[in-house]
Amino acid sequence: MSPIAQFPPRESFLKLDHVSIGFGPENERVNILENVNLSVKENEFVAVIGFSGAGKSTLVALLAGLEQPTAGKVTMAGKPVTRPGPERGVMFQTYSLLPWLSVFGNVELAAKSVFPEKSKREIRGHVEHYIEMVHLTPAMEKKPHELSGGMRQRVSLARTLAMQPEVLLLDEPLSALDALTRAVLQDEILQIWEQEKKTVILITNDVDEAILMADRIIPLTMGPKATLAEAFPVTLERPRERRTLTENPEYQHLKTDITSYLVNLNREARASRGTRIIQMPSVAPKEFRPKSRVIGIGGKHA
Amino acid sequence: MAIKYKILKAINISGMNFLAPVVRLAVGEDPQKQLREIGRFIVVPALAFLAFLLLWSVLAPKHKTKAGEVPTPRVTWEATGGIWRFHDRETRKDEAYQFTGGQRLEALVAAKSRMAELDALETKAKAELATVEASSKEKYDAVVGPVKAAYDKARETTSESRRTRTEALKTEAAALANSGADAREEFIGHLKAAEVTTGKEKTDLDSLKDKYTEVQSIAFPETKKAQRAVTLLAEERQFLVKYIDMLGEGSREVKVTESKAKYDEAKTAFLNAGPDEDLFKLGSSLVKRQELMATTETSSYAKPWTLPKQIVRSLLCVFAGFLLSSLIAIPLGILCGLSPTFMAATAPFVALFKPVSPLVWLPIIMIIVGGFMPDPANHWLILLFGKIPFIGNYKIDPMFLSSAITVALCSLWATLVNTALGVGSVDKDHMNVARVLRLGFWSRLFKIVIPTALPLIFAGLRISLGVGWMVLVAAEILSTSEGIGKFVNDMYTNGSSQSFAQMFVVVFIVGIIGMILDRIMVIFQRLVSFDNASSAI
Amino acid sequence: MHEQHLESIMEPNLLNSRRRFLSLLVATPTLLGLAPGISHAEKLAVEKDTLKLGFIKLTDCAPLVIAKEKGFFEDEGLQVEVTAQSNWKVLLDNVITGNLDGAHMLSGQPIAATIGIGTEAHIVTPYTLDLNGNAITVSNSIWEKMQENDPDLDSDKPKHPISAAALKPITEDMLAEGKKLQMGMVFPVSTHNYEIRYWLAAAGIHPGFYSKTDLAGRTDAEVELSVTPPPQMPATLEAGTISGYCVGEPWNQQAVAKGIGVPVVTNSEIWKNNPEKVFGVTKKWADENPNTIVAVTKALIRAGKWLDETDASGKLVNREEACRILSQPNYVGADFEVIKNSMTGTFIFQKTDVQDMPDFNVFFKHDCSYPWYSDGVWFLTQMRRWGQITEAKPASWYAETVKKIYLPEVYLKAAKALIAEGHMTEDELPKTTDGYKVATKDFIDGNEYDGRKPIEYLNSFKIGIKDEAALSSR
Repeated sequence: MSPIAQFPPRESFLKLDHVSIGFGPENERVNILENVNLSVKENEFVAVIGFSGAGKSTLVALLAGLEQPTAGKVTMAGKPVTRPGPERGVMFQTYSLLPWLSVFGNVELAAKSVFPEKSKREIRGHVEHYIEMVHLTPAMEKKPHELSGGMRQRVSLARTLAMQPEVLLLDEPLSALDALTRAVLQDEILQIWEQEKKTVILITNDVDEAILMADRIIPLTMGPKATLAEAFPVTLERPRERRTLTENPEYQHLKTDITSYLVNLNREARASRGTRIIQMPSVAPKEFRPKSRVIGIGGKHA
Repeated sequence: MAIKYKILKAINISGMNFLAPVVRLAVGEDPQKQLREIGRFIVVPALAFLAFLLLWSVLAPKHKTKAGEVPTPRVTWEATGGIWRFHDRETRKDEAYQFTGGQRLEALVAAKSRMAELDALETKAKAELATVEASSKEKYDAVVGPVKAAYDKARETTSESRRTRTEALKTEAAALANSGADAREEFIGHLKAAEVTTGKEKTDLDSLKDKYTEVQSIAFPETKKAQRAVTLLAEERQFLVKYIDMLGEGSREVKVTESKAKYDEAKTAFLNAGPDEDLFKLGSSLVKRQELMATTETSSYAKPWTLPKQIVRSLLCVFAGFLLSSLIAIPLGILCGLSPTFMAATAPFVALFKPVSPLVWLPIIMIIVGGFMPDPANHWLILLFGKIPFIGNYKIDPMFLSSAITVALCSLWATLVNTALGVGSVDKDHMNVARVLRLGFWSRLFKIVIPTALPLIFAGLRISLGVGWMVLVAAEILSTSEGIGKFVNDMYTNGSSQSFAQMFVVVFIVGIIGMILDRIMVIFQRLVSFDNASSAI
Repeated sequence: MHEQHLESIMEPNLLNSRRRFLSLLVATPTLLGLAPGISHAEKLAVEKDTLKLGFIKLTDCAPLVIAKEKGFFEDEGLQVEVTAQSNWKVLLDNVITGNLDGAHMLSGQPIAATIGIGTEAHIVTPYTLDLNGNAITVSNSIWEKMQENDPDLDSDKPKHPISAAALKPITEDMLAEGKKLQMGMVFPVSTHNYEIRYWLAAAGIHPGFYSKTDLAGRTDAEVELSVTPPPQMPATLEAGTISGYCVGEPWNQQAVAKGIGVPVVTNSEIWKNNPEKVFGVTKKWADENPNTIVAVTKALIRAGKWLDETDASGKLVNREEACRILSQPNYVGADFEVIKNSMTGTFIFQKTDVQDMPDFNVFFKHDCSYPWYSDGVWFLTQMRRWGQITEAKPASWYAETVKKIYLPEVYLKAAKALIAEGHMTEDELPKTTDGYKVATKDFIDGNEYDGRKPIEYLNSFKIGIKDEAALSSR
């Protein structure tokens, strides 16, 4: 069962402190992310929103410990994050299910690795519990290639949850799905979050999704040298109802604010790129028809 | 209903998708579509094969070689019958040796009656052969006679004319004793002219001779056929003679009885020996008779190797080699895939040794293996193999091991390269999952790396098995290890009229077995493939 | 009575073998029919009762095959597997490594192996399998040229034996063009090699010397000889790679049947009743299995006798049955019709030239199966003549070497046992005191061979290495 969260919830449970990550040698470094600061409270639901290619996945990798920053510190509960681990469960954009294992097998792999001391029966119960949580019990023995996109993402979720991580890092989990399945899964994730009470960082490109699900929405500026801008707090009451939300004036304001902020970001980025227009040399069109030696025939400008 | 899906799944796994429409048709599903598919995937290939047979039957007789006509499908089929007959007869002799009691006597009676039948058949066949030969001879004489006569006559005329010419020239030479340069020049001219004439006559004679030789080589297929009928009967007679012997005096039962009688005789002699008889001698002979009795009871007919047994031995050898190559290639491949340094170290060896032909490896391997086993009959490994229940019958000896090692050396490259590739191309995301779950090295290896690589490994194994089968037949021919290769070698060295057809039979046998082996590998490959991007045909 | 006969056979120089023989008599619990009073021989206590013998697919493997098929091996308490080997080298290797207990071997193989030409191993032989049986075949085009050179050959039935004289102008023509006539034989130490060389040299054609550096024997050659496996000979002849070959049957008759060549001379015409194949085992095997080797020899003698059985009119009665057996695919395998000719005493030179040769294959007559020392000495002289033996050797060396290889004492033991069993008669034993045949001139060139005078023999040839006469007395 879920570990008892420390009471009261810790501030700065997950922290990025002046983190930069880039490649290349010191003097010619190109930073993908520069000077990123983030402080996530325990049990908070944070959404990071931005355009594609800004460095969102890199951010997740940093938070998970899959990559190391070239500058700054990543800490969780005060301790530095040096390597990935089951306490920071990651849900990948591409699901990353092991295709030769069934649904049960995929979740079981996570359960067995994280809880080697549990007996076979306990593991079985554990796995079935999480599969039930994502409503996939009828498909328990199926292989990934027999499942739809939505079902696969559910398996991924179940697997991540089965690790019983302290932090859930969701890397654009729903972008590959159609709008209807997306809606269903958003509700499920929210429901599970309500139940399990974990710290969640959701990367997304959908403003509606962010507002629906998060406590705070933090935009990621354009890359390279992307950084986290100031957060937009979401004070809408939970549980949030999709249908009624669209009529909520606070929602509408928030959405407009965030959207225009992002559009501005984009314009600025393009503008800054725009000062680097290269001047074309001024040339006149070349004469293509040679002068004829015969009088009377020739180019226009004979 | 469930059965249908089970069958269809089995068909899918085995890659024999052309059978699927048959199953569907049987269940009544969408008949039109199934018939179309059956037409395309079963009927058309069958027709293609028949067309091939037809083409073969037509083209083959057109090409005459010194080893006889190129065999047609029918002749090839008959040759298969011949091979089977030989195997069957040797098996029957083997069984006959061990028949006891009523069974033996029944078989003996049956054989003897067949022998009687044969007598009549043989007389008839021989008579027919004589008639055919006579008529062939007539035809032969009719055709060859005149040509021969013409040639002989031409030969005589030519030598005669040459003689007269030489005489004339000699006389001329004699008369030129006191002649001048002109006369002598003229004489030279005559000599030259004579040479030219001789040359021309010779060419004419030669062409006649060629015709004579050519005409002598006309063949009479009826004679061949009649000859073959006689031969088949005579072979059967030969077999029956030996068979009857092995059912009678030569049978183990009879021999054991005889040997027991001798033993009893010796025993009585020993026990009743008088005071002045040599007990040592009698005792020793008694012991010896007992030993002889024991050996006779367990003796068996030293049956020569026949093709079915040789095929099994070849299969054992190819599997041994394949197993060996997998045991080497898969771990090495995994290491190569995991460590780029190791890969860099191994790559030159792979590049260097991959193209080497098995026929080059084999002599080297034979010498090395021979060095390990100076006394093969008593080597522990050979003795060990001899004890294993089924395999022990197939005489595992250094030649077998050499062939297996050669197969391994030639086939391991495909598996090695594919394994390295498979291991090296593990999905980064999967590795990330492993990292998040903090899987240890061995867990990562067995739970993520190897399962990802498994389809490619099996693809490599499939290629390896195919290569191994090809290499094996070649290696067996060279090493004369008993097997299909030895059969091919023996058949070639026989140089009999059946040999040419038997070569074609071997082509089909080797091909069919290779096909079956490949199919088995396809099934394995599909079982481990986790996506529907299944193997090629 | 038997003892006396035994003593008269064994000369003082065979004292060692006699001692060995007598010690065997004492050691073996079983006595052969040597002690008077026993009318039937005890079966020998063979050390090994399952044997594997090898052969090459030539008709003169017959004694081995017949001994098995007719139950002669079984009568000795032996279960024998007779397996075809692919070539002479493999056969020899298998005997040396022990994969085979013994084999059908070229006469030259035990000799060459024991003195170290090629793979070195001490091989011994108690039994000569057959006499004669080879022929030299030339291609159609060479035959035509020979007929041009010698018009007497251009007839339907030319006079035999045909010497290589008609070949000489052909070789000279080719040498003038800078080419050499190519011919094939089966093995460097095969009887075929020595026979074709003898035939060529008798007509003044040099077949080439061997030396330490020239292991192919082409030094000073006017005709080049190369090794070709018998089954490939017809094909290579057809292809023109070789112009002729010397080989055993059925390959000469095959050439005639397929119309690709013409046999010109048989080896019985080169040297009447020459020793051809022997049954060879390693010395080690012979020492470890003294009773088995006698048992095998007994079976082989019976097989040889059966093969040469003649009825009152002089016809060989069992040869047809033998051919039937040999034509089985696991034995010689060639067609019955092809094997039948030579084995039943007819040799076809050309379709029009069919000769009676009842002694084309001899398996027992003319004291064939006894291992004569003089046979071994002949091969040694030829090996020295052509330089395979690279140093001069004294006459005594020849005599001593053959004693190491040929085992007449085993043969006699076997023969005696058979006589006691009633399968053989006293007068079928060869009458010899020292194992050397009398001097003979039955060669194509009429040269006299006396096995007791190897050096003189060596020096009597026009072509060939000659050694100092002084060596003859050493």
